[in-house]
Amino acid sequence: MEKFRKNLVLCAGTGCVAGGSMKVRDALREEIKKKGLEKDINLSLAACSGSCSEGPVLSVYPDEVFYQKLTAEDIPKLVEEHFVNERLYEKLIMREPEEKSSIPAMKDIPFFRYQVLRVLRNKGLIDPEKIEEYIARDGYQAAAKALTEMTQEDIIKVVKDSGLRGRGGAGFPTGLKWEFASKVSSDVKYMLCNGDEGDPGAFMDRSVMEADPHSVIEGMIIGAKAIGAHNGYIYVRAEYPLAVKRLQMAIDMATEMGLLGKDILGTGFDFELEIYLGAGAFVCGEETALMRSIEGKRGMPRPRPPFPAQKGLWDKPSVLNNVETLAQIAPIILNGADWYRTLGTEKSAGTKVFALTGAVNNVGLVEVPMGIPLRTIIYDIGAGMRKGRKFKAVQLGGPSGGCIPEGLLDIPVTYEDIVATGAIIGSGGMVVMDDNTCMVGTAKFFLGFTADESCGKCVPCRVGTRILLDILTDITEGKGREEDMATLEDLGRDIIATSLCGLGQTAPNPVLTTLRYFRDEYESHIRHKWCKAGVCRDLTTFWIDEKLCKACGACLRACPSKAIVGEKKVPHKIIQELCVHCRTCYETCKFSSIKILPAGFEGDPYELLGSEAKGEAKGGNE
Amino acid sequence: MAAEPKILIVDDELVVIKSAERVLKSEGYVVEGALGGREAILKIEQDSYDLVFTDLKMPEVDGITLIRWIKKSRPSTGIVIITGYPSQDTIKEALELGIIDYVPKPFTPAVLLDVTERAVEWTKGKKVEEEKMTEKFPPAMEAELERVISEYRKKPGSLIPVLQRAQEIVGYLPPMVQKKISKGLNIPIAEVHSVVSFYSFFTMNPRGDHNIRVCLGTACYVRGIEGVLGKIKETLKIDIGETTENRKFSIEGVRCLGACGLAPVMVIDEETYGAMTPRKAMEIISHYDPSVMSAAAAGAEMMDEKGE
Repeated sequence: MEKFRKNLVLCAGTGCVAGGSMKVRDALREEIKKKGLEKDINLSLAACSGSCSEGPVLSVYPDEVFYQKLTAEDIPKLVEEHFVNERLYEKLIMREPEEKSSIPAMKDIPFFRYQVLRVLRNKGLIDPEKIEEYIARDGYQAAAKALTEMTQEDIIKVVKDSGLRGRGGAGFPTGLKWEFASKVSSDVKYMLCNGDEGDPGAFMDRSVMEADPHSVIEGMIIGAKAIGAHNGYIYVRAEYPLAVKRLQMAIDMATEMGLLGKDILGTGFDFELEIYLGAGAFVCGEETALMRSIEGKRGMPRPRPPFPAQKGLWDKPSVLNNVETLAQIAPIILNGADWYRTLGTEKSAGTKVFALTGAVNNVGLVEVPMGIPLRTIIYDIGAGMRKGRKFKAVQLGGPSGGCIPEGLLDIPVTYEDIVATGAIIGSGGMVVMDDNTCMVGTAKFFLGFTADESCGKCVPCRVGTRILLDILTDITEGKGREEDMATLEDLGRDIIATSLCGLGQTAPNPVLTTLRYFRDEYESHIRHKWCKAGVCRDLTTFWIDEKLCKACGACLRACPSKAIVGEKKVPHKIIQELCVHCRTCYETCKFSSIKILPAGFEGDPYELLGSEAKGEAKGGNE
Repeated sequence: MAAEPKILIVDDELVVIKSAERVLKSEGYVVEGALGGREAILKIEQDSYDLVFTDLKMPEVDGITLIRWIKKSRPSTGIVIITGYPSQDTIKEALELGIIDYVPKPFTPAVLLDVTERAVEWTKGKKVEEEKMTEKFPPAMEAELERVISEYRKKPGSLIPVLQRAQEIVGYLPPMVQKKISKGLNIPIAEVHSVVSFYSFFTMNPRGDHNIRVCLGTACYVRGIEGVLGKIKETLKIDIGETTENRKFSIEGVRCLGACGLAPVMVIDEETYGAMTPRKAMEIISHYDPSVMSAAAAGAEMMDEKGE
């Protein structure tokens, strides 16, 4: 193999490609050629490094320098500076939002510093379309070890001892699941992978399938050996075309090399793996529904028992594991259970990948040891709130999860601690919300999702979520009644108690957590017809505080319905009759002079806002 | 238009043109020939043809390029491909571009006449019922559908993959396609329909030439996709799940595209666009159809974008 002086790794994940990665690649190739550096510089493509908002991103090794937000136009200068003059190209180096200094080295960037990469161990380092690169990083060694040196019991023991729990949502111990299935005797068993990542706001499974497809396949081979399965399916969303392509290439290459198919590595063990494309139904993330879907039917859950470990796909014993769970298997087999337990807590061992998005400065995938406080993820890795806005809540676990307020940010991220707040870790979606978010509106958003995705089998879920949604819609339109809050709570609890599957059992969580932590917002919507975030159009009056208005005319120009009057040096005013409550002025004003009052407010705004400010200060001390 | 259908044969081999001409002229068709794609474009620009028969592999301007050009500049012209290598991929690509049928090379006079007759029927029928959605598909599409069904016939649990492939071929799943699949796979039509209606990936309405998929995930919600979606709906005057009257665009709401780092996100056909604002979305859509911009400008009076 030739030795290059520098190795460039350019991200070619969904995010970066949309940002123009391919143009950057072409420009880089051309420029390297122009400068005659082909012998010195090797350019390879890798998938999703998780810093999607900064894309396209490029890492330079061995310098460990990280360039971001590249454009094709920047490339000639970058190549000239970094590779000819051997200086850093400052313009494209990551900067701390608060500080002026740039931080070129990856280990110094807070986004990377707190992370420990196990699931994402190969992210941005290997070309997912080349099996050799995976193998060069200890790939398939664990599979070889499991197939040649270990018995079924050995594998199950290591996985059980490691404390690994299913990363798809429920957190069921993986080793235990395997043990159940291994003890059932049957001529045919199935090893399945759940890549039907449906939670809005979660994309770690897509990233793993795109960036490191072999890690999933290797996990499945080991699992198949442990339970005695010779057939497997990877169920992937059709909305993830790149993941499907990479997985298929990976399966083909592994088959060609004798790592899949008949008589793997000459051990006599057979395992055939196929991809099955999902067709867009959130409920198919539930294991029994997913299996029905592979059978070609409507993906509806069925009661358990019998559990899939006894009767699953086509009534044969089956094990379904999530993508992230499977990607953890190979290192556990290679390094042992104790190694895995060096991170995380007693009951929540190892690392978890979160998809950090929303109103924070750094968004992307982050892999952290379990037990780390939420605050560290949001304020250190995420570098705090965007545009200096005020934190309001962090939503965990998608439509099945809940909203966690500021006061609980110091709790450790473990399965138990998060459940205690009313949210769940779920698949790891973490959406940060600022004070521009209306919590009633957020609950409505999630209920709209679950009401739509309910498969319709159980009445409480099918009808109940619809009623919850109707009540929430009423509240956001100013038709809320005092008793609505109690109805939401009662009905929510009933839906949880009487639904068959996880979808119904968790669907009320967004309502219940927002009622628990942001009850004042519900009250203000219902009693005062006041959406303080200014999101619910029927419950707001926009008003300009003349004491703060600098009469700059920005809002006046921005207003689409010409509802603002004023001139230079004369504080502006909103003509309420013309205002369409579009928030444009509110977003435009640089001096925070536009305030949000209740609908149809006629009293003294200063008095109202003054008492509000006091109340808030008091609330903060509680 | 002349009473007899006018046909243009495009091939880089003169012998193919000559033999096709001889066969078709004997049946009273008006036939002309063009040696290659470039000559074909010149001819079509000056004259109008009802049908164009074209080879795929030609130097310079190849068949697929020619078909793309015809579809854009003379959309009412029917296209049949003549090919020696009907690989699945090229057939699929050509079908997506809207060909009627294909003639395998070498062909007998009978086959050529047969295909021509069907293609002429098809273009006539299409012209009469241009507006109404006919429940008929080009023969090549039917054949491809048949092939997919028979490929999966013996496999258990094949309904969903077959539906996915069928939607790829036809673009949507009207009752006729569902019936065909029901018969082919020996599954009750009620069950086929129950699966089609259950999964959001399947649609029973034709989609536009360009499908705009708007992400309805949480991150996109938090970062303001609603304003973007509202603007698109307002400008195109259609709702989610609908198609514009001229069949140019359709809007689809999708659950999290998994590109949350780029939120808010929309996808047009296969292209992902991140960090959308109402204005940016309009600019991008107008690349696909410039007339959108004027419609958007008319709407801008009503609602301008947020001043971020």
